[in-house]
Amino acid sequence: MKNTKNRPENKNHYVERFTKGWAIYIKNPMGKAGLIILLIFMLMAIASFFVPLLGPVYDPMTGADPNITYSTGPSFQHWLGTDFIGRDLFVQLLEGAKVAFIVGLSCAFISVVLGTAIGMISGYAGGIIDTLLMRVADIFMVLPSLVILLILASLWELSIWVIIFIIAIMRWPSVSRIIRSQTLSLKSRPFIEASRVAGASNFRIIFKHIMPNVLPLAFLYMTFRVTSAILVEAALSFLGFGDPGQVSWGMMLQWVWSSGHMFQAPYWLLPPGICISLLTLSFYMLGRAMDEVLDPRLRKEGEGE
Amino acid sequence: MALLRVENLSVGYKSKHGLIHAVNNISFSIEKGRSLGFVGESGCGKTTLGMTLMGLLPENASILQGDIFFNDDNLAGFNDEKWRTFRGKEISMIFQAAMNALNPVIRVDEQIAEVIAIHNPQMPRTQVFDQVKKIFDLVEIPEDRLRDFPHQYSGGMKQRAIIAMALACAPKLIIADEPTTALDVIVQDQILKEIKKIQTALNTSLIFISHDIAVVADVCRDICVMYGGQIVEKGNREEVFQSPRHPYTRSLLESFLTLDSNGDIKVPEIRESPDLITITGGCSFAASCKKKCEKCENRNPGWVNLSSTHQALCFEEVIHKD
Amino acid sequence: MTEEQNNQTPIIELNGVTKEYSSKKNFLSKGEASIIALNNISLAIQKKEIFGLVGQSGSGKTTIGRILVKLEEPTKGIIKLNGKPTNNLKGRLLKNYRSKVQMIFQDPYQSLNPHLSIAETIIEPLVVNRIGNTATRREKVIETLEIVGLSPGQEFFHRYPHQLSGGQRQRVAVARAIILDPEFIVADEPTSMMDATIAIQLFQLLLDIRKKFKMTFLFITHNLAAAKYLCDRIAVINNGVIVETGIADKVIKNPQNAYTKKLILAQPGFNFKN
Repeated sequence: MKNTKNRPENKNHYVERFTKGWAIYIKNPMGKAGLIILLIFMLMAIASFFVPLLGPVYDPMTGADPNITYSTGPSFQHWLGTDFIGRDLFVQLLEGAKVAFIVGLSCAFISVVLGTAIGMISGYAGGIIDTLLMRVADIFMVLPSLVILLILASLWELSIWVIIFIIAIMRWPSVSRIIRSQTLSLKSRPFIEASRVAGASNFRIIFKHIMPNVLPLAFLYMTFRVTSAILVEAALSFLGFGDPGQVSWGMMLQWVWSSGHMFQAPYWLLPPGICISLLTLSFYMLGRAMDEVLDPRLRKEGEGE
Repeated sequence: MALLRVENLSVGYKSKHGLIHAVNNISFSIEKGRSLGFVGESGCGKTTLGMTLMGLLPENASILQGDIFFNDDNLAGFNDEKWRTFRGKEISMIFQAAMNALNPVIRVDEQIAEVIAIHNPQMPRTQVFDQVKKIFDLVEIPEDRLRDFPHQYSGGMKQRAIIAMALACAPKLIIADEPTTALDVIVQDQILKEIKKIQTALNTSLIFISHDIAVVADVCRDICVMYGGQIVEKGNREEVFQSPRHPYTRSLLESFLTLDSNGDIKVPEIRESPDLITITGGCSFAASCKKKCEKCENRNPGWVNLSSTHQALCFEEVIHKD
Repeated sequence: MTEEQNNQTPIIELNGVTKEYSSKKNFLSKGEASIIALNNISLAIQKKEIFGLVGQSGSGKTTIGRILVKLEEPTKGIIKLNGKPTNNLKGRLLKNYRSKVQMIFQDPYQSLNPHLSIAETIIEPLVVNRIGNTATRREKVIETLEIVGLSPGQEFFHRYPHQLSGGQRQRVAVARAIILDPEFIVADEPTSMMDATIAIQLFQLLLDIRKKFKMTFLFITHNLAAAKYLCDRIAVINNGVIVETGIADKVIKNPQNAYTKKLILAQPGFNFKN
């Protein structure tokens, strides 16, 4: 709106953009709900670092209660009950939250950094480089990631970090497609041409002019990548191909299944299932609300600048 | 009786910085068969005015006060339902972006026929298409181009088709909002001639909105100059353009480049669009006015009669100061 | 033009410049469709003049501007800067060329990066050409801001494009174009998005800059009246061909070409006879 033009502002541009975006974000009920759920899971993940300090019984992997040798329901001692060798389920659930965050965020981070870099280079360079990179992206895009992971996991025992890396490698192409098309439309914008006329190098144009314009979009895609990474890891673990040395929600489900408690222990089956759904849902809601911040067309009239 | 009479009309937009007074207490009227031009620069409220008269205000805008009398109806109180039957039939509009106003996947003649059919549901189909042919004849689109799709038309042809669509139901009033802004000069010239010819031939009333004073002077007999949501000067075109009295009209004319102007251009010191949120007492043009005096800044100017048809929204002393 | 200037080497010279855009059709249809945007254009622009290029949309006038600032290369023909051919420059030579030839773009809402402050935008040519240090650059930016009428310069230094009006933005674009002290500036319809009262103020600024810094301008426009006001000489271009060149006043008073005549006749004026 025109009336802002004479208002002196010395606030940092990025701080200002953030506060403006935040104001739109927080008005969205979906964004608010997503953020609250996410905060709860974050608390759980943080708690998982402290609970094992209470005693060896509370180690999610090795801390079996010596008094219990079979799966028990919720009690004062074990809030959610125990598994078939007497490990505390609540402690495992907290540990699972931590793992889900590590898997989701690092996977998303790697794939988005890779996807953004490749997308920007591909879109800006054009020609043969663009064609080559996008064909590679196409190949990765059509690969069935879960099947490949299953094959690899059945051949070798994969640690959680290897799994994270493989999921990330499988997931960059869709990010780079989006970033590439955004870069293509930015490339022909006059402010990029003005910078070229000023004598700026390609490197400077990509990192100084194009990157700040695609970063919000990359960040948005990161939230969606988190969701898919958590789901893939959970599926893999449930099928029994996860990192056997690492408790995760998928692994908990696998233990329910393999120990034959599927229909006997709802206190064991339901919490990890619900957690997986809620956490992925919260990231999804986060993404949708951010989408609204970034895409002014979705915003209601009159709220925008 | 006037065909359209607007009285004390104010229109505001809600924004997060406050209410924007886009149109501020405007009154005017137009007789049958006359042409009235609104001229002003961006942010003066001319487009909002046009949208208000068509009932096409966006959701965050509303009429704050005033009446719009069209014959015996007060359009200011119309709901969506009433507008649907009224719009296109009694008042129609020629839009600025011709390329976007036509549906790319429907043949041009069918788009015009649809407009006629909506407002005349009983009319048989053959008669509808006869009507379409007549209108195309009027806007000089050759008959063999009738069945074309919009993309097969040139820019000028598309604008003609838009005019044809506006004429489809023989409206009593046509509102044209910058109908030639996107066109080249040569095509613009043809379209303006077309509009003038049709307006006289059909004896409809025309409200023509533009930022280009030469275009408005070419098409319209009566002129309203707008600034900051208000009409600041009105009169017939000879009065307004040959003896402008409001300081804004003067700087508008003085800074307008024509092929005849040689060196007599004065560079105005106009700040861009005035603040329409905080309405202070006082003239909205005072900040850029070369002739302003003390009271311009704290008292609202009133209408000064210069002839029976010519008025300026200013102070007597300021107008006569030289 | 005075005779003295006619004897000088022109600052910019186009010799038989042709630009074709070929659009490769898909494999089902044979051959390539090519569009001729410019057809054998020859022009000479003298030092310190404002040369107007007048044409309607699609006439090729913007393509000439883009070729001159090396955003595009011609298919055929030679471009000379101060008598030296400049086709297909690369690397340091291209950078050097660009420090001498700058451009003001049409739409000030599109030609400024929304994420860069005014200072960052104007300073860019200095940074990429490694001129001065932080302190001298800052001084130069403030000085340039004041030249283009955005004073006090300190006040605009940290603002962002969205906090400025259209006219102010275009002044920022002018500041970016003149900060390297170029010899030649291409102004591509710099006022077509502006109101007449704001446009005339920008024209005044361009005239002031020419006077102060002895720069040469190519002014690209669709508006004959603006070209007459601003330019010493004009060329009228239609469908990629220059149809008439001459001293602005003379061309408009006494057009020789049929298209120029048509263009002048179509110009709306204040005649109240109808």
